[in-house]
Amino acid sequence: MSSLREIIHENVREGELYQKLDRKWVRCFACGHCCEIPDEQPGVCKVRYNQGGTLYVPWGYVGCIQCDPIEKKPFFHAYPGSLAYSFGMLGCDLHCAYCQNWVTSQALRDPAAVAGPMRVAPTELILDALHQGGRVIVSTYNEPLITSEWAVAVFKEARAAGLLTGFVSNGNGTPQVLEYLRPWVDLYKVDLKSFDDRHYRQLGGRLQPILETIQRLYSLGFWLEIVTLVIPGFNDSVDELTRLAEFLANVSLDIPWHVTAFHKDYKMTDPQNTRPETLVRAAEIGKKAGLRYIYPGNLPGQVGDWENTRCPNCRELLIERYGYLITGYHHSARLLPGLWRVYSWTMGCCVLPTDYRPSFRAAYGPTRFVCAELVGSRTSSWLSMAKRHVAETDTSLLANPARTSSRVLM
Amino acid sequence: MAYIIAEPCIGTKDTACVDVCPVDCIHPAKSRSYDDGRPTFDEVPQLYIDPTECIDCGACVPVCPVTAIFPLEDLPKKWQAYTAINASYVVGGKFQPDKFQIKRG
Repeated sequence: MSSLREIIHENVREGELYQKLDRKWVRCFACGHCCEIPDEQPGVCKVRYNQGGTLYVPWGYVGCIQCDPIEKKPFFHAYPGSLAYSFGMLGCDLHCAYCQNWVTSQALRDPAAVAGPMRVAPTELILDALHQGGRVIVSTYNEPLITSEWAVAVFKEARAAGLLTGFVSNGNGTPQVLEYLRPWVDLYKVDLKSFDDRHYRQLGGRLQPILETIQRLYSLGFWLEIVTLVIPGFNDSVDELTRLAEFLANVSLDIPWHVTAFHKDYKMTDPQNTRPETLVRAAEIGKKAGLRYIYPGNLPGQVGDWENTRCPNCRELLIERYGYLITGYHHSARLLPGLWRVYSWTMGCCVLPTDYRPSFRAAYGPTRFVCAELVGSRTSSWLSMAKRHVAETDTSLLANPARTSSRVLM
Repeated sequence: MAYIIAEPCIGTKDTACVDVCPVDCIHPAKSRSYDDGRPTFDEVPQLYIDPTECIDCGACVPVCPVTAIFPLEDLPKKWQAYTAINASYVVGGKFQPDKFQIKRG
């Protein structure tokens, strides 16, 4: 019987994100490690490997597929209530002791992780996604950056089929991989696991490449949401959460920040599960830093009003949630950053991309967008109502558009 | 936790590990000068892994021609002292002159 390594090595093709060096070495740019890899060796991720001076990368299989509400990814400001079709491959550039997907992410590193790959073609995945009612297709479960070439192949087909595309990633990226992904990836979730470089090294990475990736994702115009899994005793100190929230606020006040509850998993079984009070404390730290959209997650019904989305200016209730479920969606002339569906009852459903209408983008920044569903010819009058609401309730925004644009911090 | 470079490195100092390390935590690198007064490549008997900067990726292990590098939990008992020897050179990128002198007599 073939070993997992042999099966994976049958499903590869030459990578695009690498550079050939002398002595048959290569330098890979798929993740922030930028491994220099000798001949006959894999990179840190174990799935990208050098053979004879050529870098081979995973291709043509999935380790796991699943269709879930997009809120589970979590994306709260992109197509609320839609189904997101998720697929993953195998391997990760980090080795977090609390990984919830360790069976796929630690394959080839931990002998106990034995997820079996399944061969597919991109079109088969897209047909399955459409069949299951997916509106969005997301590369997740393992670290998608290290399998970017395959994700882009799938996303090209997804775009043709009218699906939105997304990455659920640890954010350990490089300028090269983000440029490579920009034309094909709409949504990007970064798991910002800590704000302490020593903690990051315990997980197998460094803090700096992740912070740089977050700044770059925002300035390149990906729709960006951040998740921080709050782990008691690991990253829940007031100081660390404050520095983290202030960093995000300096990139943009409009980035949604999900502070989610840890539960014991994989090798991390010492810390207690995160309590609702801890999440609410983290959310209040984010609010104090100026962030407008903070969502404590994984504890449905236990964090009060924090699960909902309100207009940051007048506090009107716009989206009500219970965990992954949308329990109320209020039509209202309000502007919210994100990607929202616009319905035209006579013409079917259409979608507003983030950068539609240059004048709108100029006025409100690259990611400020319209919340609620619009009906046919009322769109333009509705938009002017929404603009007027912002003008009346948040004058500082119009006076100082720089508040929503990216600023380099570190 | 970290990886440890043990006795087989003494006299070998191949440096393939230095080249593959994604976080540059193996010192001293060949033909690199440091400004904190640490002994350079030609002045040390072996290479050292900085225990606070190591990210436990293991990239250095397969490229070592003399199998000198081990994860802490797999370090052979006879080479246990090398944990302290590795840490005596630099910790967090900082040279440890006192500790290093003691270890080297």
